[in-house]
Amino acid sequence: MDKSRSQRFLDAVNVPLMLWTAALIVYGTVMVASATSGMSGGSGMLVRHVVGIIVGLVPLLLVWFIDYKRLRGWLSVLVTFGAFLLISPRIPGLGVEAGGATSWVQFFGIRLFQPSEPAKLIFIVVVAAVIASFKGRIDRPGDAVKVFAYLAGALGLILLQPDLGTGLVFVAITMVMLVAGGMKGRYFAAVAVLAVLATLAVTQFHLLAEYQEDRLLVFIEPDRDPDGAGYNLAQSKIAIGSGGLTGQGLGSGTQSNLHFIPARHTDFIFSVLGEELGFLGAVLLLGLYLALLLSALAIATSSRDLFGALIAVGVLGMWLFQILENVGMTVGMMPITGIPLPFMSFGSSAMVTNLGAVGLLLSVWSRRYGT
Amino acid sequence: MATYRQDLKSRFAALGIIIIVVLAALLVRLWTMQVLNGESYAMQAENNRVREISLEAPRGRIFDRNGVALVTNRSALAVYVDPTHEEVGDLLTRYRSKDTADDPTRRELDEVFGEMAGMLGITSQEVFDKVADINQEALRPRVVAIDVPIEVVAQLLERQADFPWVEVEEIAVREYPYGSLAAHVVGYTGAISEAQFKESDEYAGYELGDVVGKTGAERQFEGVLQGDKGWRRIEVNAAGKSQGVVSEQAPRAGNDITLTIDMNVQRVAEEQLADAISEARRQGYSSAKAGAVVVLDIASGEVLAMASAPTYDPSAFLGGISTQEWAVLNEKSSEYPLNDRAVMAAYPPASTFKVVTAIAGMEAGITGENTTYTCTGRWTDMGTQWPKWCWKRTGHGTLSLRSGIKNSCDTVFYEIGYEFYKRKAEELQAQARAFGLGSKTGIDLPGEVAGRVPDAAWKKQYNANYPEYQMWLPGDTVNMAIGQGDMLTTPLQMACVYAGIANDGTVMKPHVLKHVLDKEGAPTLTVEPEVLFDTTISDASLGVITRSLIDVTESGTAAGAFAGFGVTVAGKTGTAEVKGKDDYAWFCAYAPANEPKYAVAVVVEQGGHGGSVTGPAARNILAQLLGEPIKTVRTTDQSR
Repeated sequence: MDKSRSQRFLDAVNVPLMLWTAALIVYGTVMVASATSGMSGGSGMLVRHVVGIIVGLVPLLLVWFIDYKRLRGWLSVLVTFGAFLLISPRIPGLGVEAGGATSWVQFFGIRLFQPSEPAKLIFIVVVAAVIASFKGRIDRPGDAVKVFAYLAGALGLILLQPDLGTGLVFVAITMVMLVAGGMKGRYFAAVAVLAVLATLAVTQFHLLAEYQEDRLLVFIEPDRDPDGAGYNLAQSKIAIGSGGLTGQGLGSGTQSNLHFIPARHTDFIFSVLGEELGFLGAVLLLGLYLALLLSALAIATSSRDLFGALIAVGVLGMWLFQILENVGMTVGMMPITGIPLPFMSFGSSAMVTNLGAVGLLLSVWSRRYGT
Repeated sequence: MATYRQDLKSRFAALGIIIIVVLAALLVRLWTMQVLNGESYAMQAENNRVREISLEAPRGRIFDRNGVALVTNRSALAVYVDPTHEEVGDLLTRYRSKDTADDPTRRELDEVFGEMAGMLGITSQEVFDKVADINQEALRPRVVAIDVPIEVVAQLLERQADFPWVEVEEIAVREYPYGSLAAHVVGYTGAISEAQFKESDEYAGYELGDVVGKTGAERQFEGVLQGDKGWRRIEVNAAGKSQGVVSEQAPRAGNDITLTIDMNVQRVAEEQLADAISEARRQGYSSAKAGAVVVLDIASGEVLAMASAPTYDPSAFLGGISTQEWAVLNEKSSEYPLNDRAVMAAYPPASTFKVVTAIAGMEAGITGENTTYTCTGRWTDMGTQWPKWCWKRTGHGTLSLRSGIKNSCDTVFYEIGYEFYKRKAEELQAQARAFGLGSKTGIDLPGEVAGRVPDAAWKKQYNANYPEYQMWLPGDTVNMAIGQGDMLTTPLQMACVYAGIANDGTVMKPHVLKHVLDKEGAPTLTVEPEVLFDTTISDASLGVITRSLIDVTESGTAAGAFAGFGVTVAGKTGTAEVKGKDDYAWFCAYAPANEPKYAVAVVVEQGGHGGSVTGPAARNILAQLLGEPIKTVRTTDQSR
């Protein structure tokens, strides 16, 4: 089948995915503008946010034009680079401590980015390659163990930082990919049991940092400490609840403008959205996410090989879990962790990574007819 | 290949379901929070955002009759200690527990409060006493010092981290430009007590810890002096920093009031009372420590001066009095300086009551101006086994009623009293009551007592458990006739009796409030003179009394006190016997005698004789009122 040049270009473009992504980015920019408007240096932040979007187009295009199938050949390089990214905040001179964790790197004293963000994409590709090699069935214990060994390695490096939230994202990505990769139901059950046991062990022996334990306890018992760790949650819920059906109006949220919402332009951007745009604004956002996720699922379905499908599913899993965790924490359904809301939160590392993820999806999509 | 493609379809379907379940769960949660419970969250957001602070209303000022401010307001820097702070709360819990063994030690108090106390110039024990004061609401910060110098406040605030339980606030406090002048009439203010709070009208809007009038005019006119609190709703950010005013209701200041007190007369009255007490002590009455003065405007019942000794400084109560200071003011050895003896103390009126006996006798037709009596010093009409003595044991010889008043001869009044006993009509009691004795005058000051006019019914009831003492005996009436026995009157009541005699038998209701003023200082309420008792005594009887009382100051028992006084004064000395104590000195008078304007009553507890102790005090108070020179008078008087 010989196609014209323009036809081939149109085949390479997934219009719905790009449309929903663009819509989310616009929505996010509006919310970041509102959230930072009352901050000192707020306009500078908005500029940085937009710069992050533009910078993110580079990995998007780069990854798009790389044939994802070639990535399988670079596996050892990817694993090495991914491990380096995860360990880099711990390298003296590179790492910067912020908010109780060392999850940033700097060059020449300039705080640059959170290496665990791009590491998510490398992890997705690596795990996709591993699972794809099992040809759609994981019914031998050794195969499952192999996948979990990659997860354990990544988690080990992440918990060095330590960053519990990012670790959970890696777990979620792995689980979703295992579903698509055909792991036996019995293994899922076994993993669930192990997870419960591990959780018990962690809480019994206080393996978590104190602030992490506080956040978890507050999640279980929100009134436990309303002025301390529970304060953030309580204020976030007040903000969202007070938004009502139609919200207080963009830029008019008192919880946001009077600083009651913590980290309102980053992790708690959804609280600002809920307060200022109300239930209808939230429905619009979740609707856009539904469209985005279904586009990703459609791309997975369209993939001509299992590797491509798993990459798409991995991206889908990453976004789905981050949406659940981020929105869930602002309404008290999930414990509070520092996970950004895809395309919405202020923060270039995440924005660049998410645009890179879009690039991965487009790479899979545009090669659905290939040889 | 085909098989796993088939499998993949179902797996993708499962993922699609997971996506929808996750998003639906979030949506349901948001629906519940935003649409179903939005109102309640909105209210919480409003409470977050808006703080209401109450704005204290300035308390009304108190002026004397000439517009001189006796009590005003000023602002003061107050240092508070928050009793709910952990460090302080621990000490309090241990202090309040039954076990005294775990009470905080001096060293522990020094450790916590020592440094701050040093900066404030007090001891850590004093700080703790104020913090531990149970007369205040448990959770409210306690004032530990007021009028703290600004440098000290600055130091305290700089070191907030070292004293996290310290708060500093600018508060409005009472100011007393003349110190303790008229302290008993004016009264003091303090934090509303639990009891006062409970009985207050809920619409008055009191909150525990509010400053209210506790005694005197401050208490009596609390409803007028206390303004209406205002409020201000401010928007605050998460750090509690104000972002601006949302809405505001200005406080309404309390009304100023004008008292009937004349500051100058009041000052002389207090000085003269103090002088009378020291004069009594000079004369050997070493227990003399207390007394009272009442000065009335005869025609209107206005109280021109009211003094009670010992006195106190109302500014001691600013910012809350310490437990220790409070204890001192309520100790027997301090003679209870907070009591306004002019209305709260009842004494035997002694010879000052003889005018009532004389009037009752004349009105009953059993005596007259020139009725003669024979005083041998020893009076045995009730039988030789019950002799009564005149204060002058050698006797006054033959004398008239008028002369009996002038010389305060007891025998004359024994005779009249015995006559009343024999008539069995309790006419003497009726006359005493006609002047208002035995009942409250209803003066507009708190704490007034009624005194006592004894009669047969009272005695029976009083001795209900002692049947042998229940019978009214001749001696009861005879003792009453000279103002002894079970008679008890307040200084205010006796001033009213003399004012009533001077006012042709009409007793005006005594009062201290003259005007309530509006914002512009114009009276919105003026207290009009009110008749308390109209005794319907004949002019003839009143004339006899006035002539007799003039004799007293010109040639009788008070002649020494009034020697050289330029205005004719009608007065009477009294020397009350109180079991187990030195005699109480009395003097009651009105002047000018022919055209009376002012009535005065002076008492000194355990002060000895009226003529030599209270007479000179009354003289100088009248001198101030009538424009006569005030001078130190030293004289003697042996009468009773």
